Amino acid sequence: MSAHATALTDHAQRSRALIRYTVLLAVAVLMLYPLLWLVGASFKSNSEIFSEVGFWPERFSPTAYVKGWKTSTEYTFATYFLNSFAITIPRIAVTVVSCVLVAYAFARFEFWGRKLLFGIMVATMMLPLIVLRLPQYLMFRELGWLDTYLPLIVPSAFATDTFFVFMLVQFLRGIPRDMEEAALIDGCNAWQLLLYIIVPLLKPAIISVVVFQFIWTMNDFMGPLIYLASVEKYPVSLALKMSIGATEEVEWANVIAISVVALVPSVAVFFMAQRHFIEGTASSGIKG
Amino acid sequence: MAAVSLRDIEKVYPNGFKAVRGVNLEIHDSEFMVLVGPSGSAKSTLLRMVAGLERATSGELHIGARRVNDLPPKQRGIAMVFQNYALYPHMTVYGNLAFGLKLSGLPKPEVDQRVRQAAELLEMSHLLERHPRQLSGGQAQRVAVGRAIVKKPEVFLFDEPLSNLDAKLRASMRVRLTELHHSLRERGQSATVIYVTHDQVEAMTMGERICVLKDGEIQQVDVPRVLYERPANAFVAGFIGSPEMNLLQAEVEQRGDAVGLKLKALWLPLPAELAAALDGHSDAGEVLFGLRPEHIATVSRSDRGTVAIGARVQLLEHMGNEVFIRADVQGTPLTARVPAEQVGDIGQCRRGEACTLHLNLRAAHLFARSDGRRLC
Amino acid sequence: MYDNKRLGFLFALPFVLGVLLFKLFPFVASLCLSFTQYDLIDPPQYIGLQNYRELFGDDPLFRKSLGVTLWFAILAVPLRVGFALFVAHVLNFKLRAIGFFRAAFYLPSILGGSIAVAVLWRFLFSKYGLINLALVKLGLEPIAWLADEHYSMWTIVLLFTWQFGSAMVIFLAALQNVPVSLYEAAECDGASKAQQFWRITVPLITPVIFFNLIMQMVHAFQEFNAPYMITEGGPLNSTYVLALYIYDQSFRYFNLGYGAALSWVLFALVAALAALSFWSSRYWVFYAGEKDGAR
Repeated sequence: MSAHATALTDHAQRSRALIRYTVLLAVAVLMLYPLLWLVGASFKSNSEIFSEVGFWPERFSPTAYVKGWKTSTEYTFATYFLNSFAITIPRIAVTVVSCVLVAYAFARFEFWGRKLLFGIMVATMMLPLIVLRLPQYLMFRELGWLDTYLPLIVPSAFATDTFFVFMLVQFLRGIPRDMEEAALIDGCNAWQLLLYIIVPLLKPAIISVVVFQFIWTMNDFMGPLIYLASVEKYPVSLALKMSIGATEEVEWANVIAISVVALVPSVAVFFMAQRHFIEGTASSGIKG
Repeated sequence: MAAVSLRDIEKVYPNGFKAVRGVNLEIHDSEFMVLVGPSGSAKSTLLRMVAGLERATSGELHIGARRVNDLPPKQRGIAMVFQNYALYPHMTVYGNLAFGLKLSGLPKPEVDQRVRQAAELLEMSHLLERHPRQLSGGQAQRVAVGRAIVKKPEVFLFDEPLSNLDAKLRASMRVRLTELHHSLRERGQSATVIYVTHDQVEAMTMGERICVLKDGEIQQVDVPRVLYERPANAFVAGFIGSPEMNLLQAEVEQRGDAVGLKLKALWLPLPAELAAALDGHSDAGEVLFGLRPEHIATVSRSDRGTVAIGARVQLLEHMGNEVFIRADVQGTPLTARVPAEQVGDIGQCRRGEACTLHLNLRAAHLFARSDGRRLC
Repeated sequence: MYDNKRLGFLFALPFVLGVLLFKLFPFVASLCLSFTQYDLIDPPQYIGLQNYRELFGDDPLFRKSLGVTLWFAILAVPLRVGFALFVAHVLNFKLRAIGFFRAAFYLPSILGGSIAVAVLWRFLFSKYGLINLALVKLGLEPIAWLADEHYSMWTIVLLFTWQFGSAMVIFLAALQNVPVSLYEAAECDGASKAQQFWRITVPLITPVIFFNLIMQMVHAFQEFNAPYMITEGGPLNSTYVLALYIYDQSFRYFNLGYGAALSWVLFALVAALAALSFWSSRYWVFYAGEKDGAR
């Protein structure tokens, strides 16, 4: 239900709407201009970047992309992207599986400690996790998992991304149990119920989980920073940081080009699933 | 104190849909006027136009002596009671009642006095510190009414206020609202009321005058009795009264001296008065023959206006003091309404059994089949 | 079947294990670590409260960092939440392009945490970056955003505010849940648009305001990427938030006991603020019950 229209004249109503559209457009332009400029700058020469406010390049030059892709290391961004996907895809898979299982438990079952665990879940969503970083590091060090992708993937297999569990639980709570009860009468056991009834019903929420986990993992910085030492294993986020490096002299054109490329997967996934998950997150709270 | 006047009011939506067509209505000062009609009749739209929540595309709207077409609701001297009460959930009952008054800058003692007066009038003084979520439906409704009373408006507007209540509560609230109207009038506090409902029982019991609407057009405006006894067209005839008036398709025919109605194989001779009234109408050929259920009896009367016909009983509904007989006359349904003690043998009839019904044709209504208007 | 407690527990098992292994255990371990001196080479040595004593008594960098973090939170959180509410309010009407605007405002909040955007931001605010170019075009003096300790904070505050989209979407949903008839009743009561906003809309969405304030506060205190990439904590530690300090102590200088102590102080601070917020919510957050006028 959107805001009201009272008995204003058509004229008054239209001018009100005009003001709103203007404000919104102004804010949108202000918000998106940096991104727009980034894309335009990736095609500009170094000198043009530093002299022009407008985002449209005088001449389109893809050299920044070529140079940036090659990077000044021994690996191209192809490697770094593959690394990013090597982290992201498994992580998404284990996240979906574990979070659906756990959400199913919380939303439907009665079990020991349910209230307590749910309270813990909500609490961990609200408290700074930075306090856990160090001990987790030490733990993975003992396990010999440093400089591998395991510390970035394995925790998600235990539903530690509590935001997703919470979102799935809220979604599931909104679904009436009628179909499950009918299936129970037909003789389904819990696993069949989960696979054939619950999961299809959860599809929109699962899509949200996939999209968010994809974007967040692709953009994850501190995790890889702490756990990965070998450059050949670096994901895109660390490679970007490397390109800024310690020196004052930055090849900005290249860096900007490669930043654009780094953002492309996230933006693409966002636009593909945009409709879906904006509405989903609004109803269950958002980490962002 | 204000009369409300709507002249040539029309409302056309941007997509071209004409919701209100040429409505002309004069509501007298202190009158309880009911706007009634099925959904889509634009009764709520009209009410909201009087309130100032919607704008008329053309026409003149006057409250009292003032032209209010361009005035916002606050300046029109109206108060509205919404269908879902629209109580502010975050304020107490006191807060809800006082909100509008405080906004208009009324000094605190007077605000307090008005609020407490209204609370007393509606017997809810004990609810003043509660929040809306702690109120029952009936209590919430009284708060909504109280919020209107404290404003001391020139016109009260009610938008189907009882439709969310259960049947019993609805009946008691009807009485309460009508008594409220009377007591406000006795105190000299202005009490022009425009009341929208889809329930014709509410309309008939509460309205001093009723305006029947259909598809944005006024069908008839009059006191309840006239609406009931002399409906202006077939729509009003079928809308007012429960159970509904029987409306059957028939043809006017002259057989020798007598003028009568031909219904399938039935011949119903018309009483002289009706026949005379028909004379004036040229297209009195195809008509809708209307007869209210209470004018169909199970025993014959000794006057000449009654005609006996054969029918088959379909269903008997025993209401306690009366019985509704749903019968079938040669394929056409007919409903009769008979006091319980007169039902006689018919009361034992099973489905499909034959019986005799006596129609009091003196009370018949005749409408032109083409446009539904009243012929006599 | 759903009252089969064992089965339910089985399904929840991954979470139970996860909480034990990756949340509870590290949580306690972190506390224990804070009482030690540990540099990864020699085994940890128990030193009691010395880390904390040093932290509170003898560490000007900690005090600076704490101040910076609080200052950041005080600036950034109200800005982000305020902007989110404002834009959601403007967006809340029958707007044909609402999908476009919602996406446009939401996109930055998803990308904003990424390194790519941090890189972009660093560039935007550099000496000859876009912002200064624009200032010059408008006839104003360029500002040494990244080099001047008085302005550096604003770069990360602005980035944080830029990401208001996620909070905005939540506000929008809440605003759309306020029944239109309440506004109509208020209109009949004589309330102007401003009065309707402050006295009807805002009170009714206080739960959402509260939720957003808490969530954004927690995010603000953990902010790492932006200060790390854009300003590197400087200049002169003017953006050296606690998250950076903890990182440096733990993973660069390998002063693990001290780093653990620092992280615990941050945790306690946020927990205290959250508790305070919850306590204060009694006075200003209104939870509507299930009943309104319509049954």
